[in-house]
Amino acid sequence: MQENYDVVIVGAGPAGISTACLLAEKGIKTIVIERGEYPGAKNISGGVLYGHDLAAIIPDFTKKNCPIERNIIESRLWFLAQTGGYSLSFRDRAFHEKQAFNAFTVGRARFDRWFAEQAKEKGVLVVCSTVVTDLLRDSNKRVIGVTTDRPQGDLKAKVVVLADGINSPLAAKTGFRPEPKPSHIALAVKEVIELPEEIINERFNTETEHGVTIEIIGEITRGMDGIAVIYTNKNSLSLCIGANLSDFMESKVKPYEMLEEFKQHPMVGPFIKDGRAKEYMAHWIAEGGYETIPQLYGDGYLIAGDSGMLFNALHREGSNMAMTSGRFAAETIVEALAKDDFSRKTLAGYVSRLQNSYVIKDLKKYRRFNAFRLQHHELFTTLPRLGTFAAQEMLTVDGVPKKEKQKAIWKKVRKEISLFSMIRLLWKGWRSVK
Amino acid sequence: MPENSKGIEVAEILPDKCIGCQICVAECPVGAIEMSNGVALIDPEVCIGCGECFEVCPVEAIKFEKKGRAKKMRKPEEVSEGALAGYQGVAVFIESVNGHGATVSWELVGKAKELAEKLNTRVIGFLLGHEVNDIAREAIAYGCDDVHVIDDPFLKTYLSKPYGKALTDLCKKVKPEICLIGATPVGRDLAGIVATNLETGLTADCTGLDIEEGKNLLLMTRPTFGGNIMATIFCEHHRPQMSTVRPRVFKTPEKNTARTGNTYHNGFEPPDAKLPELIDFIKDVAAGDGVDITRFPALVVAGKGACDLETMPLLEELAGLIGGLVACSRPVVEAGLMPYERQVGQTGKTVAPKLYLGIGVSGAVQHLVGMQGSEKIIAVNADPKAPIFNVADVGIIGDYKKVVPLLIEQLKKTIQRN
Amino acid sequence: MHFICCIKQVPDTSKVKIDPETNTLIRSGVESIANPYDMVALEAALTLKDTYGGIVTVLSMGPPQAEQVLREAVSLGADEAILLSDRAFAGADTLATSYALTKAIEKLAQKTPVDIVCCGKQAIDGDTAQVGPGIATRLGYTQFTYVTEIKEIDTINARITVKRKVEGGSEIIRGPLPAVLTVELELAKPRRASLPRLIHSLKSEVSLWNAAAIHGDNQKLGLKGSPTWVKKIFSPPLKEGGPRFDAREKPRQAVEDCLKTLLADETFAFQFLNQWGR
Repeated sequence: MQENYDVVIVGAGPAGISTACLLAEKGIKTIVIERGEYPGAKNISGGVLYGHDLAAIIPDFTKKNCPIERNIIESRLWFLAQTGGYSLSFRDRAFHEKQAFNAFTVGRARFDRWFAEQAKEKGVLVVCSTVVTDLLRDSNKRVIGVTTDRPQGDLKAKVVVLADGINSPLAAKTGFRPEPKPSHIALAVKEVIELPEEIINERFNTETEHGVTIEIIGEITRGMDGIAVIYTNKNSLSLCIGANLSDFMESKVKPYEMLEEFKQHPMVGPFIKDGRAKEYMAHWIAEGGYETIPQLYGDGYLIAGDSGMLFNALHREGSNMAMTSGRFAAETIVEALAKDDFSRKTLAGYVSRLQNSYVIKDLKKYRRFNAFRLQHHELFTTLPRLGTFAAQEMLTVDGVPKKEKQKAIWKKVRKEISLFSMIRLLWKGWRSVK
Repeated sequence: MPENSKGIEVAEILPDKCIGCQICVAECPVGAIEMSNGVALIDPEVCIGCGECFEVCPVEAIKFEKKGRAKKMRKPEEVSEGALAGYQGVAVFIESVNGHGATVSWELVGKAKELAEKLNTRVIGFLLGHEVNDIAREAIAYGCDDVHVIDDPFLKTYLSKPYGKALTDLCKKVKPEICLIGATPVGRDLAGIVATNLETGLTADCTGLDIEEGKNLLLMTRPTFGGNIMATIFCEHHRPQMSTVRPRVFKTPEKNTARTGNTYHNGFEPPDAKLPELIDFIKDVAAGDGVDITRFPALVVAGKGACDLETMPLLEELAGLIGGLVACSRPVVEAGLMPYERQVGQTGKTVAPKLYLGIGVSGAVQHLVGMQGSEKIIAVNADPKAPIFNVADVGIIGDYKKVVPLLIEQLKKTIQRN
Repeated sequence: MHFICCIKQVPDTSKVKIDPETNTLIRSGVESIANPYDMVALEAALTLKDTYGGIVTVLSMGPPQAEQVLREAVSLGADEAILLSDRAFAGADTLATSYALTKAIEKLAQKTPVDIVCCGKQAIDGDTAQVGPGIATRLGYTQFTYVTEIKEIDTINARITVKRKVEGGSEIIRGPLPAVLTVELELAKPRRASLPRLIHSLKSEVSLWNAAAIHGDNQKLGLKGSPTWVKKIFSPPLKEGGPRFDAREKPRQAVEDCLKTLLADETFAFQFLNQWGR
């Protein structure tokens, strides 16, 4: 019963399914192999997806029961010290009118399932509970298929697409991607907190179909290079807090404790009050950025999505890059099939597509950002502390003249951080994202 | 109340409460309800807002607030009550084990007596076997008013078909309104056959029986959904109302050899089918010596939290001190540390010792239903929130590795002192 | 030989949790799976097919999504899959379920005579263990419940020998075919599907049979054919429990206090110290 396929895709996440959908539309014989019991089984609720990238795969996704939780109409940015913090928020009507579905929250377990269903309808076979353990190669070391952990588990194909995520034992085993260094990975813990729809609407000042994202940095990560987010789902909130793995290893902070502390922060607590924790999970995020992107193609294979470290750490964009890289993989494969040539030369078209798109352009733009954050831990300690101190001083009405307060603030600031290092920080920070 | 596009107020499912029984699916007159991932799902566009589903849902998982509709139990059914009136008496199948009545049968006779008093009727024993006169006398001593016996060499050992036919025959002839059977391997094998032959309702593994006042219906309560919740079930329009009951749920009544009752002997026509033949019987050795944990006055029960090889000898020592035996919860069996015969709980044995000492047992409902009848319950668990503490008479919060040696040490002292 | 295996799709009750505050079932997030006992029954049927040849037909009753468990069965080696799905089947108790399954088996038997029907001992959601005996009784087949081992099939004399669990031990019993077997978990460990079969199962057809297809009496199907009714469902009442002693800091004291409390009940203490009167 051994069958041959045109394309074998490893991983039924956003990247793999995007490739699969587009290939199947062209009538290309495609099979996706997923290690989870179902697509999305390894994910939990609470992710942001981007309409632009999804529409390139499924143009009418809003009409196809896509399990959208809330359409994001407002983004907030918080800069937190232990006792309080700054909040900056932006909301625009455009996000519920012409740019509706620019970004929206989804429960990944549900979305991934839905997305895979779309692929199945187009004729893709999605095989679950199956782990790809190795790649098959011919005598010239060209990739010609995969080996799985099932009996008679070999599967031959003209092209293999590796889209099995950041935590890919396969990439490491085959040597296609060096094992990411701890400093290139963030370890994040996520909790989903259930709350009635109306309460969320009230607390975030939204309608049911509209939602808010909050991105947070500051002392909440205990001085580690990290970030926290709060996303609104229909009747739950996703809380996620993470930090660089190397920082975790050094500080010995327990992620779960950090999450618990975060939940008790005076800015966070009121949002989740009376909520019920529903799910908890830890996961990895690729945030090494541009410098860590491996060779994304070779004879008979392509790497897409998180497996290729395609993740924008500053803007928390990953799923969009996964979908778009998946789309480019499909386009490249279509080309290769037309030529019946699956050598690295033809497949190199994949990378030129990425380079000409926002994917590599954005990652390149922010290529120093990862190193910058790691070198400047004051971003997560001194700065938010001083900032809150300043605001708190200025806002406290206690009879002290404002001029004296200003002096006191400056004195404290200068004591903790030199003018020179502040300027240097600003300059380097600017350079890392310009 | 949500409305659909036609402006009809529609019913809504509360997925967290839905247990997937599908009664609403069957009741919906327009087919608006489907099952999705084990939970009912109403299509609001098809729903006509009649509220039938709301009325039949046993778990209040349907939200429907249309004015003027009060929740009622179920829609009436056309059945002539006269047909049911011919059925009288509470019957118990008396299972025989090595020439004696099974303990569970006597427990059921005790319960049947209670039910019969409420119904103002008689307790009937159904006894099948060969040379079972002694058991018939025993049945009367335990509380049967009438014992119907089929004494036939054909029924010397239990075989599904002849026993099924014999008990069906007796039910048809005697027409009891209730028929109780012990949920033993034999009882469970037999009950399904008889209920199918009689085309009546059978509720398995009940842990509670009662009579609904006014209606004189048998209310049968049993754990369901993997033992996570309890369901009360009734059988309104078919007789007899049949139920199997777990051993050790009810107390064995006092035996009174002076009691009198009637014994009726019935003839038997063996089924005309080729029957299986017993080739061999292998006594259980899996538990070492065929021990039956239900017979011990004290049990040390190892749970998932104490599931390691090194601890087992300590638990054995502890069990020795309290005059009992080591048993366990399901995860310990699954880990291969103990044989199935030692498992307490829904899928294991129901125990009711005088002293239950749980070590690292968290107290999942499946386990609790199998031990709640214990006289004294001590729980040792590291998690202060473990549900076992809610049923325990005394609890120790702490690591079993520290607590167990201390328990042994102090128990030794206490015993020496006395 | 023709082996039929009945499979029920059930919620994975082992993953159900109770909300400690409200004492109610947390139902969401619980996946539907094939009843584990039924998967052992399928393994038994497949092993018999491997040994004696023939075909394995899998049969389930449930909503359309239940075809998932049948597909799983096909991936493991079942030759044909039939799903009884109709609103008329909904709300069935064990009597109505065994009726519908029996009618389907009778229909299958017309095409290829049936030798053995394999069922799980019970389903993990209801734990009734009644459908197997119900089918055996309706079909008039030999009934073997709690089977832990299939010893052999004597194809010439149409007999099967099995080992089954009984009170206090096991019996070896031989009886005529056709037979219904309900199996214990220990009988076999379900195999893992090969990749080609798994792919095959994704592409294969599951036949859908409605009430008309099995020529059943509608009064005996689904809710109408179910004598038993659920009156109410409730969580076991929460109990408070007795005193708890914290052994995390002062273990010795806690153990001492615990025993003291226990033995404060004089009747109990007397029985206990006299080793329960032995």
